[in-house]
Order: sequence, then C-alpha cells, then structure tokens
Amino acid sequence: MIKNKKTKTKSTKKSLKNKKVKKSRTAKKPQKVDLVYGLVPKKKKIIDFKRETSINFTLKLDWKVKHDPGQFMMVGIPGIGECPISICSYSDQYVELSIREVGNVTKALGNLKKGGFVFARGPFGRGYPMHYFKGNNVIIVGGGCGIAPLKGVIEYITKNRTDFKDVLLYLGYRSPDDVIFEEQLKSWEKKFCLNVSYDKAPAKSCYDGKVGFVTELIRKSKFDNKNKIVFICGPPIMMETVINILKKKKFNNDQIYISAERRMQCGGGKCGHCMIHGVYVCKDGPVFRYDELMDYKND
Amino acid sequence: MNYVLKKEVFSKFVNSVLKEKGIDFIAPVKSEQNDIIKFQKLISFSDLCLDKNAYYPLKEWFFKKNEVLFEFKGDKITIPEKKPKPKIFFGVRRCDLNSINRQDVAFSEGCWDPYYFLEREASTLIGYHCFEKEDNYCFCGSVGLEDHYDLMFYDRGDYFLVEIGSKKGAWFLKQRIRFFKKTTERLSARKKVIKNANRLQKKNIAPFYDHKNWKKGVDLCLGCTSCNTLCPSCYCFEFKDKVNISNLKNGKRIREWSACQLKDFSEVAGNHIFRSDREHRFKHRIYHQLQYFNEKHGKHLCSGCGRCIRGCPTRIDFVGILNNMKTKKPNVKKPKK
Amino acid sequence: MLRKQKIEKKKKNKKPVVGFYAITGCQGCLLSVLFNEDKLFDLTKLIDIKAFPFIKQLEGAKEFDVVFMEGLVAKKNDLKELKEIRAKTKVLVAIGACACTGGIPAFRNFMKEDNYKHLVYHKAMHLTDMKPTPIDKYVKVDYYLPGCPPDKNEILTFIKDFVLGKKPEIYKKPVCFDCRKEGNPCLLDSGKLCLGPITRGNCGAVCPSGGLECWGCRGPTDDANIKTMMSLLEKKGFDVSHIKKRMKSFVGLKLAKKGIDTYEQEY
Repeated sequence: MIKNKKTKTKSTKKSLKNKKVKKSRTAKKPQKVDLVYGLVPKKKKIIDFKRETSINFTLKLDWKVKHDPGQFMMVGIPGIGECPISICSYSDQYVELSIREVGNVTKALGNLKKGGFVFARGPFGRGYPMHYFKGNNVIIVGGGCGIAPLKGVIEYITKNRTDFKDVLLYLGYRSPDDVIFEEQLKSWEKKFCLNVSYDKAPAKSCYDGKVGFVTELIRKSKFDNKNKIVFICGPPIMMETVINILKKKKFNNDQIYISAERRMQCGGGKCGHCMIHGVYVCKDGPVFRYDELMDYKND
Repeated sequence: MNYVLKKEVFSKFVNSVLKEKGIDFIAPVKSEQNDIIKFQKLISFSDLCLDKNAYYPLKEWFFKKNEVLFEFKGDKITIPEKKPKPKIFFGVRRCDLNSINRQDVAFSEGCWDPYYFLEREASTLIGYHCFEKEDNYCFCGSVGLEDHYDLMFYDRGDYFLVEIGSKKGAWFLKQRIRFFKKTTERLSARKKVIKNANRLQKKNIAPFYDHKNWKKGVDLCLGCTSCNTLCPSCYCFEFKDKVNISNLKNGKRIREWSACQLKDFSEVAGNHIFRSDREHRFKHRIYHQLQYFNEKHGKHLCSGCGRCIRGCPTRIDFVGILNNMKTKKPNVKKPKK
Repeated sequence: MLRKQKIEKKKKNKKPVVGFYAITGCQGCLLSVLFNEDKLFDLTKLIDIKAFPFIKQLEGAKEFDVVFMEGLVAKKNDLKELKEIRAKTKVLVAIGACACTGGIPAFRNFMKEDNYKHLVYHKAMHLTDMKPTPIDKYVKVDYYLPGCPPDKNEILTFIKDFVLGKKPEIYKKPVCFDCRKEGNPCLLDSGKLCLGPITRGNCGAVCPSGGLECWGCRGPTDDANIKTMMSLLEKKGFDVSHIKKRMKSFVGLKLAKKGIDTYEQEY
C-alpha cells in the first residue's frame, strides 16, 4: 500500500510538470518554445580564440550559463554540421571549449576568429558530481585532448580548494609539441602535485626530458587507495591500462570515474547513436562511475 | 458507458466524417498496385481495409521521415511555424496504439520534443481490436500491452462495440452521437485477449546476452534495416544540414530516420565504429526493444506486432531463437545484479 | 583603390576549376549532371566548368581542382588520356558505375572472346586486347560517385560539400533503407531477384519504387552479407549461375574482394 502511494504521488508530480510545460507552450509563440527545448542552437560570440597546437585550439564563448565540469555542448556551424565538444572551464561568466581538428565541423571551427560566431546548444549530460567528493584526495589522469574536460575539474577544485585534500595530476601528451593548456600548466604546477609525461620526443627540436606513457607514471607512483577518487579521461586503451593498474593497487570500482565517447547527434537522449546497453551517453553520461559501464566494454 | 455502432450505419458514419472539412481521416488502405496495406488518407469508404494489420506502421505520421528542424539564412535561424491539420486515425490495432504510446514516452523523456507532439496533439486515435493473431509472426500477447486509445472499436458480428478511452475520444463521439446508441454491454478483460499470440516465452532476456544461439540469427542478417524502418516504435534519428545551391549560406537542418542496424550508426570522427560487429548491432535492437526500455520505463518498447520478422527478407525469427535458449548451458553469463 | 579591392575580392572568391571528362562509356553519367536543369545556372556560380565533352567551346585548363571522370579504361588511348588528366588535377572523382566498379563494359572480363566477337564486333576490326577495368586500377581515385546512372542530387551535394570545404560524405546505407522509406513492398517477397539489401543506396530507390528489382549498380555496401544473400536467393529458387551473373553485371570486378569468384567463363 505504501509503495503504491509513493508511486501515485510521483506520477501526479510528473503530470503536473507536463501540464506546466504544455501551458507555457500554448502561452508563448512556438518559436521561443522551440529554442527552449534544445534542438535549435543559439548564436554565441567568440570572445577569445587561442591556438594551442597545430591542430588544437580553445574557443571562449560569451555565454553566461551554469555548467558542471565534464558536461558537453553541441557546437557547430549551420550548413556544415554539429559535433559534441566537452566544456573545459568552470565559470558562470563564459564557456571555454577545447577542440581538436578531426572532422568537417572541427576544421571549419578552426578557421574562425575572435569576434566571430558559433552556433551552440547545451550544456548536455551529467558532469562530474564534484560535491560528493568533499574531503577526498583527488587523482586526475588525462591523456591528450582528454585533458580538456579535466581542466574544468581542476578549475572547480581551485575555486573550492578547501573541500579537497591532496590533488595529484598525471597528464600525458604525445610530445612536447602537442601540449595543450601550456599556460595553465604553470599555475597548476604551483598549486598541485603535477606530473607530465610525453610519449615521444619531438621530431625536430632537441628535447632532453623523460619519454614514456602516463600509465608508467602511475605504475611507479606510491599512492594507496585510501580516501581517493580517480578521474580518468583519454584514449580508450590508456583508460583501460590505467584502470588495470589501479585495480592492482586495490582501488574499488566506485572510486574510478571515466568518461565515454560516442557519436552524438541530439544531446537529449533520443537519437540513439550514443546508446551503450540502454544508457544514453549524452544524457546519463558522458561521465560514468566505472562500475556502471565495466560490463559493456565491447558494445 | 459504452456505445454501439451498427454495421449498416458504419458506412454512413465514415462517409459523414469524410465529408467534414478541416479533418483528415486516415485509415488502412490496400494499394491496388502492390497489394500492401498502408495508413493513408481515406477518399472513399470502399477503400477501407480492415482484414489485416497495415504492413507499414503509423509512426511516419508523427515521427516524420524528413522533418525540417529549422531554416538558416546566414546567421539567422528561423523555425518553420506549423499548424498541423486535425487528423482522425481509424483502424489502429492494439499493438500500434501501444507503440505510439512508447514513442510518446521516448519523445517526452528528458527534453520534450515539440515537433513530434504538435502532430501528436492534433491526432485522435480510433482503435480496431483484433481477437485473433494475424499470422505466426505476432507475439503481442507476451509483451504486456496496455490500453492506450481515444476510442476503441470491437467487432461483434453485426455491430461494433465502442469504448471510450480519453476525453478527446469522448468529445469526438459526442459530436457524432447520432450514429451511436448507448449500451450496457461490456467486454471483460478475458474476452479481449488476443488468442494464441503469446509466442515469446522468455520474460527476462538479460541472462541470454552471450548465448551462442544468437549466431543463428546474426548469420542470416543482411543488414538491410527493414526491421528498423518497419518497426512502429523505433525512434532513432539523425540530423543533416542541407544547403541551397543558390546560396551556400542558406539551407535547413533536417531530422531523418536512422537505423541501428547500419554499420556507420555508431561511427565517430576519426572513423572509429563502436558497434562494428554485426552481432552487437543485431542484439542491440532486440535488447533495446525488450530490456533496456523496460528497465527505465517499466514497459517493453516492443509491441509485438511482428513486422520486423514479417518484413525481414530472411525472416529471422528472433522470438523462436530466444525461446530455444536454455539457462542451464555452461557458456551463459550469470544475470547481473 | 576600387580596382585593387575588386581584384582582391576576385582572388578570395576564386571558384574551383572543374572539368568533366569521359573515356570509354555511354556518356550517360555526364548527361545526369545536366539533368539538374533548373540548378545548372546556380551551379556555374559555384564552380568554373572548364571542360565538358558536350560543350565544344570549352578548351580545358592547365590545372583543375576537381575532375569528374566517366567511363573505364578499355583502349590504350583511354589510359593515356586518364593519366594526363590525373596529372593535371588535385582531386579525381570517378563518376558512374563504369569508372567506379567496371559496370556493363567490364562484363567482357567474364566471357570468352570468341563468344562475343562474332555477335557485335564482326565488322569492327580495331578491337584491342585490353581488358576493360575501372580507372582506379591505373590511377589514384579520391572519391567515388557510383550508379548507373549516378544520382543527380548526389553529384550536386558533392559539389556543394566540396565548395564548402567539407569532406564529402559517403552514403553507406543500403537501398532497402531508401526503399522502405519510400513505402514500397519488398520485391524479394514477390519473387524477384532484388539485390537491394547488399547494395549501396542514395538513389532514392528509384528502381524498386517503379516495381523493377535492384540490379546492384551502385556496388555492395561495406557491410554486405553476400553469403547469406546468395543462399537466400537460392532458396527462392534462382539458379546459382543466374544469381552470380546478376551480381556481377555492374560490379563484377569489385566483388572479387568480397568472396565471389569473378573469372568464370560460363557464357
């Protein structure tokens, strides 16, 4: 009986919500309503365009929108297309997007300049639930352009530094030429325990530093699993090896957070392209606790 | 309160609705050229075909094959204003009524889809009950169908028994009350059961994901996507930008149907395909229909109409494959907690 | 000042130089470019057509951005012309079934010479001994626009994408997808030898919509399950050699990679 009551109240609440939605829909002109529901992008001004490497660049958009670290946006140019880009900032005042030129849309975005416009919708998805981790030690492992969403996490931590204990950063780049967020690295070095690795030495300039994968850094490190949360983002092979190493260090599955990459089109959990075993990456992700996804590696 | 519509009056009723202005009357019609039944705008009463369920589902009337989301001219975006004509859908079977309800759920979940619901709100659904399964492909009895209709017609020999399911239906009936008579007759749930249609014996298919019997179906699959396009409840789509040839800065963004059986369905930039295996794609559709949707919403996405088997060139009977699976085999994974 | 600005503008808005060429073939593919009748005028605003076999005034250019090549290599002259053009252009697009997959002329590969020589060519003594092959055997082809004839809208979208700087999208859905969207009945069910399930779409399923079975002119999809298709058609009562003949009619040479034996001298 009690259970029934609960479900009833829930359903009535839901129907109330629906009614509200419908009322607002009839009250306003259809154009404005459509914009609200996220299928139609908004025009946003680029207030800063920064080229990080030959193929990476960062866009700063004049858009006052609340977002969690780890969420993403659908950014595009009408006529060319749209693609999902993760937000790499944590601020109420602007949105920063770090983009790598891979496909049609990202290449077209790379030709834009400061003062230009992009069309974006979002933010979509579930970011890192940072408020859960108060009082924990944080380990951040990023590889290549997977560092972009983690930059939002780092900015969150710098803003709420007292909530977290030790912060360890392990960042891997392909070579010193491919370093993104070079400026930020300097400030992170002062505040946190920063470890950077390069897979290869650069082809032309002489480079004297260490060469090796991030996974090696973690294998050699001496931290234990107590009161620790790990965020991993990067190429799938890197994430898998890092997880294996962490398992050997006796980390639990619920201490590890990974982010999944899929093809996304609608951003609202409908189009089905991003579905993994019934989970929509665009709506229920892109950040997942490892035990939510660990059985579905092949799908 | 139920109503009765006598069969002598039935043609008069249909003809009077056909004459009404501002309303489209859409019903299953048999094409003269190729013998298939489709939901089309009815022109004369003699075209109406109620012997069999339609070969093509109803979904294309709500979830359009090509829907213009917006038009752009340079930096300006305009949304085409739409005022869909009120439509009466007649002769919709129980399975199709349920699949429309599933699409309602899918398109209202998360962000509410205005394009779909504009059409949906302009529609009145009048059902037509089948008392027996149409052919061996039907399995609607085993997916747990619910009652979702505005009006429902039950064929009782020389008259139709009409049940009202919603205010919309009641309003529709009230306007045309001269054709109907009140009655106290009621059909019990047992009498409404569609006979011999509970072919799928498995209630939970989750433990069989890694079963080796799937290979029988996968080997037969041609990847033609008939199962997706014929399915009344499949709702996957994709966006496409189409630019005008006269000015490449102008154009429109279109929402098109997509199909999860396509290899490039899960392809990302950099040419990586996540479900590149035919087996994964094949199982993905069935598990979405019979498990994933159920986990979220408490009901199957599949409505058991059997179109995916009827329309498949090789007639892959996944229901039969599922029925033949046994839990005791050693290579079966344990159910997840 | 104004002149300078105008010149600068012209430089910026330089239209891509495009050429249409044809070697051995029926020229039908180039005709399907012209079928975009009402859009041809807009098309000339986008691109600078410097060569087109049907227009005698055009004299070609030294360098091309894109060349659309129709036909296949069946004579030694063809090969010479093809290689010359490839050297001139940045992007080479094979247009039509002949250029992409071999098409009907390549059927000569599957026949004994004695069997056809007396039929058609008894007066033509200039038959050369070259085996007809699609152009990508000899030169690098950047994009393929298959079909016999190719779809006029596909050509237009290709040009639009190219001018916009997009990488032209390759359509990977089968004909069945288009056909079901058109709302047609399945021709396999009515006992016709339809190759829709294994053939690349984007033709709008014109043949099945008109009641004619798909002959597979646009080539197999990446995902084509030819083995099952063969056994399905065999079950429907078709002769194996008949099925093979049909499958090979447009794309015989390309099917070799997909597991169908190509060189059978049956006819």
